[in-house]
Amino acid sequence: MIPFEIAEPTSLAAAIALLDPDDPTIRPVGGGTALMLMMKAGVFHPEKLVSLRKIESRYSAITAGPDGLRIGAMTALGSLERSDDVKKYTPLITRTLRTLSNVRVRNVATIGGALAHGDPHMDLPPVLMALGATMTVVGPKGERKLAVEDLFAGYYETVLEKNELIAEVHIPAQGTKKGAYYKVTTGSADDWPALGVAAVIEADGKAVKSACIVASAATDKATRLKSAEALLNGKTVTDALLKQAGEAAVAESEFIADVRGSVPYKRELMQVYVRRAIAAALEGRNGAH
Amino acid sequence: MVTTLNPVGAKVGSQVGRSVPRLEARDKVTGRAEYTHTMRVPGMLHVKLFRSTVAHGLIKSIDTSEAKKLPGVIHVVTIDDIMKVLPHPYYGPAFHDQPILAHEKVRFVGEPVAAVIATDPHIADQAVQLITAEYEELPAVYDEVEALTSDVYVHDQLKPAGTFADLKHLKGAKNTNTALDYQLRRGDFEKAYAAAEHKFEHEFKTQKVLHLSFEPFACICDYKDTHVTFYDASQGPSFVRTEMARLLGWPENKVRIKVPYLGSGYGSKLYIKLEAMALAFSMIARKPVKIAYTMEEMFYQVTRHPCTFRIKSGVDKDGKIVARKCEVFWNGGAYADIGPRVTQKSGLTASGPYDIDNVDINSYALYTNLTPAGALRGFGVPQLVWAYEGHTDMMARALNMDPVEFRRKNLMREGREHTTSQVLKDAPIEKVMDKVTERMNWSQPFDKGTGTVRRGRGIAIAIKAVISPTTSVAIVNVSADGSATLYCGTVDMGQGSDTAMAQMVGEVLNIPTESVRVVPRDTDITPYDMGTLGSRSLFHMGHAVQRAAEEARDKLKALAKEVGEPEGSNIPIADLFQKRYGMQAGNVIGSGIYKPDYVSPAPGTGLSPNVTPFWMISGAGAEVEVDTETGHVKITKLINVVDCGKAINPKGVETQISGASIMHIGFTMFEKMYIDGGQVTNASLADYKIPGFHDVPDVMENLYIEHEQSNGPFGAKGVGEVATFCPSPAIANAIDDAIGVRITEMPLNAETVYRAIRAKQGRPLEDE
Amino acid sequence: MTAARTITFTLNGAPVTADVKPHHNLVEMLQTQFGLIGARETCGQGLCGCCTVIVNGRAVSGCLYLAVFIDGADVVTIESLDTRDHLSPVQEAFIEASAFQCGYCTPGFILMVTQLLDENPDPTDDQIKHYLTGNLCRCATYPEVLDAVKLAARKRKAAAAA
Repeated sequence: MIPFEIAEPTSLAAAIALLDPDDPTIRPVGGGTALMLMMKAGVFHPEKLVSLRKIESRYSAITAGPDGLRIGAMTALGSLERSDDVKKYTPLITRTLRTLSNVRVRNVATIGGALAHGDPHMDLPPVLMALGATMTVVGPKGERKLAVEDLFAGYYETVLEKNELIAEVHIPAQGTKKGAYYKVTTGSADDWPALGVAAVIEADGKAVKSACIVASAATDKATRLKSAEALLNGKTVTDALLKQAGEAAVAESEFIADVRGSVPYKRELMQVYVRRAIAAALEGRNGAH
Repeated sequence: MVTTLNPVGAKVGSQVGRSVPRLEARDKVTGRAEYTHTMRVPGMLHVKLFRSTVAHGLIKSIDTSEAKKLPGVIHVVTIDDIMKVLPHPYYGPAFHDQPILAHEKVRFVGEPVAAVIATDPHIADQAVQLITAEYEELPAVYDEVEALTSDVYVHDQLKPAGTFADLKHLKGAKNTNTALDYQLRRGDFEKAYAAAEHKFEHEFKTQKVLHLSFEPFACICDYKDTHVTFYDASQGPSFVRTEMARLLGWPENKVRIKVPYLGSGYGSKLYIKLEAMALAFSMIARKPVKIAYTMEEMFYQVTRHPCTFRIKSGVDKDGKIVARKCEVFWNGGAYADIGPRVTQKSGLTASGPYDIDNVDINSYALYTNLTPAGALRGFGVPQLVWAYEGHTDMMARALNMDPVEFRRKNLMREGREHTTSQVLKDAPIEKVMDKVTERMNWSQPFDKGTGTVRRGRGIAIAIKAVISPTTSVAIVNVSADGSATLYCGTVDMGQGSDTAMAQMVGEVLNIPTESVRVVPRDTDITPYDMGTLGSRSLFHMGHAVQRAAEEARDKLKALAKEVGEPEGSNIPIADLFQKRYGMQAGNVIGSGIYKPDYVSPAPGTGLSPNVTPFWMISGAGAEVEVDTETGHVKITKLINVVDCGKAINPKGVETQISGASIMHIGFTMFEKMYIDGGQVTNASLADYKIPGFHDVPDVMENLYIEHEQSNGPFGAKGVGEVATFCPSPAIANAIDDAIGVRITEMPLNAETVYRAIRAKQGRPLEDE
Repeated sequence: MTAARTITFTLNGAPVTADVKPHHNLVEMLQTQFGLIGARETCGQGLCGCCTVIVNGRAVSGCLYLAVFIDGADVVTIESLDTRDHLSPVQEAFIEASAFQCGYCTPGFILMVTQLLDENPDPTDDQIKHYLTGNLCRCATYPEVLDAVKLAARKRKAAAAA
């Protein structure tokens, strides 16, 4: 690896001050797993890394309240996995974490990093989107709120400025909503997904009040499948409706080919798994292929 | 514990046949086992390689000037620098076709072109980024069938090494990519095929996969002007010694190869890999140098042979195969490595374990512009079985015959001639098949399901001939306190050879296995062994070890007689030495050599009455579930049965079968090197997936039968590869059974299976 | 040229210092400065587990962990599990169940299994497999490892009861 400098500020504000909106060679690092992969692959050569390890501890806290969950951006995914509050209020996240990468990565990777990296293959972003999560983003000019749904601009691209950091993630109270996430792998059983489908649905039995369905991995960024949702909202789910929803999802999506699947194949996968994810969400269970 | 000369109550089979825990267990579970990749030698320098980005091209220039300026860089070398210390810098077991660094030409993407020798590996890395090279690109050839007739020639001229007689005639050959054309002719194929009632013709392909040993390639060379020492991750230190001595023009005894613990190999760490480079660099630097690969670099060193197998069979009206023609094209990559041996030694079993009077085999080793292919556990046989066992099932289905009964009608039996004309002995093919079908409950009806998930089952059987002739030498040393030490060149890379060999010593000397010390491989100490490969070690080195232990035992008895002990005395060995030498002093040394008889295949016919000292026989059965909506295949049951002759270490045999099964699930279901314009695009574990916990079938049975190998040590024979042959075709046959779809090319990943389903439905999926 | 930094941390229970550059990872620091070779870099991507090290009580991939981040941390490696006379119950179980072949991935597995049993003394097969998805073995000793984990759980339970 090409040598670089590391700074370890002790506050979020100090970290932001070290970032430069015009200098792409200065980069913040959370757990570091995703960034280290890029650096070792030679895809990214930082001059300076700004570690967020030592900022205020409130940014690694999980708090549950009547308005939902507040999760500090530096919270390790392993902490989320072990959290009773997360299991109680958003069991979809607990289930999803079980197959997210591996235990060692989860011990180190952070929820803020999982979002800020903009990687379309990751499992948490589509799930957080489907849950209606929002973030507090902090920059030199102060704070702003941003929906996770509005975070991703393109392939490994977010709308964040280079000197903005995610401080906190808020997941609203889910009420009676149930969710599912399908992580579809096409090589070995444990792998990056070829397609991810997250569905969070509020329903009375099979009568859908509202649906939020998000696809990832097969698309260049995590994407809400709005036309599929529109077909379901206010309707009772039948096999025929599921089929239509799957077709609508494919029609509205743009796919990227990779070693895990060609575009035509990913279209087929999306049809099948949008269907399966909706059915699973109505029952509140995750699926693996 | 006191070792005595004739222990009271000692019985045969007290050591052999025990599931002795591995002797090196403590080192491995405590993390203290030292492997070459993590070794450091005082004063050593670090090497990083600059590699070709072009698949085939003339080297116009290499600019190392910027790299040389980086502080900490000691040397930056190209082939020109190497030729100053080694005037003839070419190596290879079959052809001396591989230059230590690219010479005038590059022949595959990833070929080493220059090297940085530096004080620190990070500095070396940085310096490599500062090297530039200019190439005049040439057309490239990647496909093995195309390579046979292409006018794109990877090598201007063939350079046989002189080691193998059947390659000598190729010396100086030009305008060809064929490194070997092995032929076998038995009977009259054309006539018998023409007259056959049923004619079948199929083509099968196998993809490029690789070993990915978890200890990456590594080698340290410490060259001094009077002798040279290597610390080498090698399965064959004797070969390395011979070849390094040849390059240097030195006698063997000045070259020392030491092998620390070996973090597996599966055939990759054979012949010459990094050693010639390390030698040249150490000669130039006049200091120890270390080369240690990253995972990415593994993809540019050696792989398995991709293969196209065109198979034709003529079958009579009773379902008996009367004629078979095999055309096998082996994709050897840019340098031959051991490819010509794969081509011949496995080529001669290409027609399978079937009794067929009229057989034509043409087996071609082809050069292409890809990473060189070499030995990978199975040595070509898995690729052959993939084809012939798929072909067998297709014929059975077409003839409306049960796949098992069709095989039973045609398989070879004891006393009959194998295709090579060698009379088959100790090859219990039918017994193995019957064990598979018994465990598969083959005679019971099987529910294939009616919904979108369909189920199916399939079997496969196979044969391999161990390569011959090869030599092994062993020494057993009994010390003055009665403790025994074994010196043998077989490299334990996790297959348990040290333990098994120690068991044989223990059996002969009537001492517990755990008391025998097996020294690490060191060519200054451990005698000649051809190599730890091709399942040869248990048999060949086992014989040598048994002979060495017997000689030591006989010498101890003679010593007892010499000091006046009565016949059958149970004197402690230590007392024997005390009596003879007056104190705890002296050694008794026994040695043994083994080389089997062999008759070379006749040129033209490829026939031989004694082409192998033993046959490997296995069979597998698979049950699968196919999600017809997505193509995902779940292997719900995998049965793998081998004949091991005699299980020296039963647990060791089981784990060899189990490991081979799971490794081959990877090769069958999802492993593949994706290559675009000669460039590997998935050179990492993130994108080249290997089996993990969740890829292991729910039900796996790894079984052996013991049909005594009459000429084997204690009736045993090798099991390192035998379980690799049948899983792939058994799974493909099961998928065909489930959904009526025949896939002839691996991997059988979800997309491939789904596309095959759509094609069969008459509504194929678009390509892009 | 980036400067080296002196870090102070606890290594297998003992206070130590090391001089590291920002680009050095935990595995190379352990190997080159402390001669600890049990953690090995194989895939370099945190997928295989050969580089497993315990940092502040949690298993991490040493090949993706910058050495500078070890400053002030508590580091435990495979070498801490055995003494001259004893192996840990997990180590013993791996030997008895023949749960290794070449041994390169073994320390990583043993550390992960030790951590698993610390968190969950009686795991189901399903829990074991999910916990170990980040530990690959090219020799494919997975079935034996599964046996070893269950055997280790029984050994630890028996030792706790005694």
